[in-house]
Amino acid sequence: MGHLTRRTFVGSVASLATTATLPALGQSVAPGAILKKAIPSTAEQIPAIGLGTWITFNVGSNEKLRVARAQVMQTFFDRGGRLIDSSPMYGSSEAVIGYGLARIGNKGALFSAGKVWTPLKPLGINQMENSRRLWGVERFDLMQIHNLLDWSTHIETLKAMKAQGRVRYIGITTSQGWRHGDLERIMRSEPIDFVAFSYNVVDREVEERLLPLAAERGIAVIVNRPFQEGVLIDRMMHHPLPPWAVEIDCTNWAQFLLKFIISHPAVTCAIPATRRVDHMEENMGAMRGRQPDTRMRARMTRYVETV
Amino acid sequence: MRSFPFTADIYLSLFESYNSTIWPAQAVAYGLGILALFLTLRPLAGGGRIAFAILSAFWLWNGIAYHLMHFFQINFAALGFAVLFTLQGALFAVIAIGGRRRFRFRPDVLGWSGMLFCLFALLAYPLLGWLAGHDWPRAAAFGVAPAPTAIFTFGMLLLLEDRAPLYLAVIPLLWSLAAGSAAVLLLGIAEDSSVLLGGVVGFGLLVWKRQQPSAIMAATR
Repeated sequence: MGHLTRRTFVGSVASLATTATLPALGQSVAPGAILKKAIPSTAEQIPAIGLGTWITFNVGSNEKLRVARAQVMQTFFDRGGRLIDSSPMYGSSEAVIGYGLARIGNKGALFSAGKVWTPLKPLGINQMENSRRLWGVERFDLMQIHNLLDWSTHIETLKAMKAQGRVRYIGITTSQGWRHGDLERIMRSEPIDFVAFSYNVVDREVEERLLPLAAERGIAVIVNRPFQEGVLIDRMMHHPLPPWAVEIDCTNWAQFLLKFIISHPAVTCAIPATRRVDHMEENMGAMRGRQPDTRMRARMTRYVETV
Repeated sequence: MRSFPFTADIYLSLFESYNSTIWPAQAVAYGLGILALFLTLRPLAGGGRIAFAILSAFWLWNGIAYHLMHFFQINFAALGFAVLFTLQGALFAVIAIGGRRRFRFRPDVLGWSGMLFCLFALLAYPLLGWLAGHDWPRAAAFGVAPAPTAIFTFGMLLLLEDRAPLYLAVIPLLWSLAAGSAAVLLLGIAEDSSVLLGGVVGFGLLVWKRQQPSAIMAATR
């Protein structure tokens, strides 16, 4: 790690605070409260469960399906959610988010996380402006470079936008494991606030390098593919929830899998995607009650590996 | 990561919306398809020009109305498909304007194959979709949706009086391979296995047709 800067100092303190406030086994998030994590670069707290929109919000102009997704968003906000993540790559998802935001109440806490996904600087600028218009927001809270596409160009644009106050945080994402080496180099060299990658109870490669590096560098972590795009949870649904899951207040597999992710000290927020209100309620329940400690996390891993 | 940003249900609901929006274009497309096929059975002066114009209209419609104005809503790749379909439509338009190529059904293997492809696109493809549970309007309609249009195009090219230039079949082949395999393997749209098979077989027959001695081709006129 290089010399201590204000950024890394704030990040380190925030990470320590996050770790320190992580409930141990048997401890609880206060009744009625939800688990929030600090964004290391500012110490701003955000709820540990966000809303992903890959596939699930790409419903085109179908009015019935748009209304259904707006109901999912309403439930998300009603249960304390803030961070919604999307990308121009996700077809009509951004337009559907904008549709929902324009029609539901209780959305004042929105933490908008958009992405730029195109080569070339002018195309990137146009795309981000188009995304902002589709969402119907004044500015994005977080703008991320999607899958590292032309990242060296867009990072300069994002740094300038942040300096001008046109975006609050900047970040970079990948859902491709083979890009983790590139991601690590960017995390070491660029002043990003957020990074997003895949992590779940069976895909734990990032525990070795990326998660510790994020904590070291004071970078917030968004976890995508928490259910392996449904594959993992579909697999687990064929097995009973272990009886000891009640020790961490899990009543379903979604909460089991999500609590494993958000209990990692370096993880800021997981972004499961869903098209169903009942699944959204299950997901948001992961932020409540007791959270697993290190010993319980190991037990959860062993259990999933045996079924 | 899943390669497709949408599900089969969303894909079919897009067809529902698309078919409702463009009605009665589907009926017009059927009429034009039957006219094109009729012109291969009863060649008329200027018939080739008309049939190529119909193929051009189908591909341009699919490029602009389907890919660009509808499919692009849920699939970023549709922009590229729109360019390719429009290019194919332009190729057919150029040949229609040139007016030198004609269609003629011959009762041989290639002729019957071409007829089979065309009838499959007009009749069997929608029937397969219905059997797979994709009821109207959640279905790809002849002439205004890419899959049956590609199959019909292979049929018409096989019914060309002369050998068909293979460049006319490159985009239909690429579409058949890409869209057919994606629809079947990733979305479970069973009827689109016919697109995949049709593209491979259709292109193979066109290559075979080009290898036939020109004297035989001439003798069968």
